[in-house]
Amino acid sequence: MEGLSPVDGWAVFAISAKAAGYAAALVAMGGPLFIATFREAPEEVLRLARRAAALAALLGLVVLALRLGIRSARISGIGLAGATDPMMLGLVWDSPLGTAALWRGAGEVLILGLVFRSTLTLAGGVLGALLVAWSYTQVGHSLGEPRWLLASLLGLHLLAAAFWVGALAPLHRAAGRVEGVDLLHRFGIIAGGTVAALVLLGLTFAWLTIGSLGGLFGTAYGWMLIVKLTAVTGLLGLAARNKLRLVPALAAQTPSAPSRLRRAIRLESVVVVLILMATAALTTITTPPANL
Amino acid sequence: MKTIIFAAALTLTTSALLAHSNSNETTPQEGAIVETVEVIELRFDMPMRITVITLTGPEGEVELTRETGLEPVPEFRALLPEEVVVGGYKVDWRGLSQDGHPMQGTFAFTVGD
Repeated sequence: MEGLSPVDGWAVFAISAKAAGYAAALVAMGGPLFIATFREAPEEVLRLARRAAALAALLGLVVLALRLGIRSARISGIGLAGATDPMMLGLVWDSPLGTAALWRGAGEVLILGLVFRSTLTLAGGVLGALLVAWSYTQVGHSLGEPRWLLASLLGLHLLAAAFWVGALAPLHRAAGRVEGVDLLHRFGIIAGGTVAALVLLGLTFAWLTIGSLGGLFGTAYGWMLIVKLTAVTGLLGLAARNKLRLVPALAAQTPSAPSRLRRAIRLESVVVVLILMATAALTTITTPPANL
Repeated sequence: MKTIIFAAALTLTTSALLAHSNSNETTPQEGAIVETVEVIELRFDMPMRITVITLTGPEGEVELTRETGLEPVPEFRALLPEEVVVGGYKVDWRGLSQDGHPMQGTFAFTVGD
């Protein structure tokens, strides 16, 4: 398959760590976005959003350090010993991953502040979310041409994804409460716009990096993208069902609605994990057709 | 079956040469039979920082003298010792592309008459 890099144990480890880093970043970014958007939500839900974001930011920092070591090991060719080799680590730090790590680390530290409830920490958290999104535009496939268009598409795609992924835990909590209906309903209305933007931004990015049907069906990148889009389609189906059937059922106080909605949100989280794994594989072991 | 697996593995690894910083140019060329060899060269479309390069011959690893340092370059060079024995050789390299991706590749050639 054209454009597929060698897949060894370290590559699999790198993909898993990157996917964990994505999940942590999206939940961390999504928390402040959620709190800033739904300031009227029940306090218990907002508290969960703050805690989840701070915990994810902490996890993100750990994964970031781990990823620098993994990359160092991969370029050293000597396995585990290469993970702590000062020279190899220095080279990784000098690469775009080092630049991205600085921005992402700063953003995640700001989001950590959300453990304290105040307008100041929320403003810091929102700034942190923007920094984390920015960090992803400093590394990888978005460094291709047209540079600023790709970077803008990716940054906004990530913010839209974070708004959704970061809302899953708080919405799960809200689904179990009668007063959560208003929040779920409002989220459904806003998400209608942000999810459409998420998909359009992602598809435009993909079109720019793939460029042709041959690129889509003739390369490893294209096939991995098809895997991702299949999972995304499933996620959109679940979201539509929640919005059109389960949230109205909750509003109508159907007895089974809370548990069905909560189960559907948990299932959404599982599909999100699959999407992030596919994305991590896409950005780790495959090359965009535009670069071939 | 082994041949198929080997061919598939070879396809996978040579494809890495194409990834991110395009390269299908090496000296000696992949699969070449040469009388002698003095230098290993890797050429890329975009600068590549080569972190490790090893040459394995019939008598084990051959010591290479890097002419190119650790800076990102479009063309990497490493010199062989003056005497090279006849037989099959394999080059393995790893590096970092400009966009920060870890890269690796391998190619083989034969020294013979």
